[in-house]
Amino acid sequence: MIIRRLFIANRGEIAVRIIRTCERLGIETVLGVSDADRQSAAARRADHVARIGPAAPATSYLDIEAVVRAARESGAEAVHPGYGFLSEKAAFATACEAAGLVFIGPTPAQLAAVGDKLSARQHAMDAEVPVVPGGSAATFDEAVALAQDIGYPLLIKAVAGGGGRGMQRVDSPADLAAGIDRSMAEAQAAFGDGRVYLEYYVAAGRHIEVQVLGDGTRTVHLGTRDCSIQRRFQKLIEEAPAPRLAPELRADIERAALRLADHLAYRGLGTVEMLMDCASGRFYFLEMNARIQVEHPVTEAISGLDLVAAQIAVAEGQPLRWRQSDLRLDGHAIECRINAEDPTRDFRPSPGLVERARFAVGAGIRVDTHVEPGTEITPFYDSLIAKLIVSGTDRAAAVERLSVALGACEIRGVASTLDLHRAIVAAPEFVAGGVTTGFLTEFRP
Amino acid sequence: MSRVELVDVSIRDGNQCLWGAVALNTAQILKIAPVLDRVGFRALDFTSSTHMGIAVRNHRENPWERIRLVREAMPNTPLQFISTGLRFISWEMAQPDFMQLVYDRLVSNGIERFALMDPMNDAAALLQSAAMVRRAGAREIVAALTYTVSDVHTDEFYATLAAELARSPDVDRIYIKDPSGLLTAERARSLITALAAPLGKKPLELHSHCTIGLSPRSYMVAAELGTRTLQVALGPLANGSSLPDAERVLANLRELNFTVDIDARLLRLAADYFMSLSRAENLPAGQPQDYDASYLRHQLAGGVLTTTRRQLAELALEHRYPELLQEVIRVRAELGYPIMVTPFPQMVCSQALYNLLGVERYAQVPDQVIRYALGKFGRPTAALDPNVLDRIMAQARTRDIQAEGPMPELSELRRRFAPGIDDDEFLLRATMPGAQVDAMLAAGAAGRHYNPATRPLQRLLRELAARPPLAELVVKTRNGRVSLRRRGRVQPP
Repeated sequence: MIIRRLFIANRGEIAVRIIRTCERLGIETVLGVSDADRQSAAARRADHVARIGPAAPATSYLDIEAVVRAARESGAEAVHPGYGFLSEKAAFATACEAAGLVFIGPTPAQLAAVGDKLSARQHAMDAEVPVVPGGSAATFDEAVALAQDIGYPLLIKAVAGGGGRGMQRVDSPADLAAGIDRSMAEAQAAFGDGRVYLEYYVAAGRHIEVQVLGDGTRTVHLGTRDCSIQRRFQKLIEEAPAPRLAPELRADIERAALRLADHLAYRGLGTVEMLMDCASGRFYFLEMNARIQVEHPVTEAISGLDLVAAQIAVAEGQPLRWRQSDLRLDGHAIECRINAEDPTRDFRPSPGLVERARFAVGAGIRVDTHVEPGTEITPFYDSLIAKLIVSGTDRAAAVERLSVALGACEIRGVASTLDLHRAIVAAPEFVAGGVTTGFLTEFRP
Repeated sequence: MSRVELVDVSIRDGNQCLWGAVALNTAQILKIAPVLDRVGFRALDFTSSTHMGIAVRNHRENPWERIRLVREAMPNTPLQFISTGLRFISWEMAQPDFMQLVYDRLVSNGIERFALMDPMNDAAALLQSAAMVRRAGAREIVAALTYTVSDVHTDEFYATLAAELARSPDVDRIYIKDPSGLLTAERARSLITALAAPLGKKPLELHSHCTIGLSPRSYMVAAELGTRTLQVALGPLANGSSLPDAERVLANLRELNFTVDIDARLLRLAADYFMSLSRAENLPAGQPQDYDASYLRHQLAGGVLTTTRRQLAELALEHRYPELLQEVIRVRAELGYPIMVTPFPQMVCSQALYNLLGVERYAQVPDQVIRYALGKFGRPTAALDPNVLDRIMAQARTRDIQAEGPMPELSELRRRFAPGIDDDEFLLRATMPGAQVDAMLAAGAAGRHYNPATRPLQRLLRELAARPPLAELVVKTRNGRVSLRRRGRVQPP
């Protein structure tokens, strides 16, 4: 089939990003907007706009019925869900298909398979992708036996719980008994279920992910990304390829990600996230994101591909155009997420009116944004202002360009992470490359 | 009402007729390829041996790479290669095994549809080419009934030819190829009616140039008579000596209640793109043509007219154009009325030009004319003027050409080039001067990006860089002000 009109079920920079590819491909765009976004940059750039509901996401961007209705009424043939919101909801993909709309993403079954942590872990194991050693125990003895298999350090958490309650870190066998006792007691008290989950604890790890792309029959990978610079599991700086990885290890990680994608007969764009244990050099499956990622531009920069166009081609039923050997990854790219957040106040969101927004321009510099002077950053949605992406022939060149480019950016009116980015990029650990996920917590500008 | 499909010829034939085949590089085509792919065309007339040669010579771009990239950008729309089956890039007649390799490589690189024509309408030659193209794996083969007006080119003549072609499993479709735009609405009616029975179930296409404004009307008659596919061009690449304008044809077809699976919005986007490109690159847009009765005698097709006019202009002799046309008419008659389709118009024009500028008519005779007179392009449809034939045979060069064998066997040709080169490079080296192929390879991969909107600015910057004393430039418009200041040395491009 040929998609000629596309409904975008998203907002912000990713909506602008999708529109840009559609313009290039000659695809007419219909942007679903909430009341808060009727005058957004994406709304002005889309060919058509369709209201889906009030500003609150639950009544607009997350309302499956409202989005599907708007998409169907728009005459679009397909829906691009972007990232976040409904992008990974199997129910949404199913509703689109039921309404005769092509969902640009994996099949509902694939979304379900990787959408649930336990199911994703099981699929990873089935695909022989290493997972963090661990398991659940109902009794003290079971827990001791399990700990012996897992090794140290390890984490004990409540099977029934979440949010860190009942979580204990145990660094040596001597502390195990006390840890199990305490966790089981806390779990029992908090959740009425004393079962615990024991898991190997990666004390120093790097977040390394692999971009995969499949047509439902065949899959390829587009190399690694390193997204270790995070605060509270939110990525702040990402780069491609992951720096300072031994070639064999990189190849192992890429092959493992492909195994999972192949196992799922994956359709569309996806990311297999891994945690690399710096101490052992082993890596473990974290999760799979079955959608386009915020950080996709770094992969585009080194692969020369338009990943949104690749998603659309797969949705149109085109077989993949490349074999793995056709794909070449050149140079290095780094992305900074410039957020309307105050890093000095624990990244508290800083909504408000952007008075001034100036971004770097030049060779090897790309800015994906929906913000211009006068844009209102509302408290309803995420705080992303812009993604600054730089690329260079190698990492050193990219870092240097990033430093210059950050200097040319200016945001006024709302607090932003711009200064933090400048400080990070100047830090010797960052310049050296390969920092761990603990880097930002420890980092003092 | 019945369904009609469109084939777009902008990039190949439109470019050749109106822009001398030298416009449109890889980046310029890539920019619009995804849009063209979504319009709903049955196919795109994409390239030819001439275009591939020009890619190397004029653009220093690899024509094989161009096919691959555009194919990748256009998965839905088959790309067409047009061939006379006789030659590839060079004017030399190629051996069958050489042509087989050409077709194999074209298919491997992404050509799916072949238009085959024989300048003499020789069915046997056409079918031989079709068989080779089929062996190469082509998905669709369209054989031409090359149209002209003469005592022998009657409806019966074409019906017989069509029957012979349609019988072959190697021919999927037949098209009336009217390179000179001579087909009137009246003749379209009788001809297409006569073709119905011999064609059987094989679909008919019409390709008729607008040279004297006849085709927009004959296209509607053709559609009424069940012609499945009409060949059209976009925006500035339509009209003039090119094909009818796609948007107008679409509107007319819909006016007459035909179903056409074409997206009008995308058609407009593509036409607009070519229009901005033509403005940015100073390329003339095709204009609707007036009827010209004298044209029926010289019958010079679009591309040749433009090229000939350009050649005269380069010699500062554009004022002698009317004289040249008279000479073309005379030469064509003396050479036995060859159909004015490649390679013959070029041949007739060269001879006419020599006659016009030389001390005496036929004092100098181009190699192509000698080859034609010697029957190297097949048997001329009618006999040559005996006096002219004598003059040609008396040329010293004629003996050389007579002695000259055909293009060497493939195996012999291969021995002449380094064993390491791949087939695509070999085919270019075997048919072009090595220096041109070297220059193409040295230029590296073709550009991937083009934006007509930035061309004026690029030109301005290039001009500025060439003027060292200029230290600052301020451009003020209603919307803002741009200031450029020179810092350090600027390398002229």
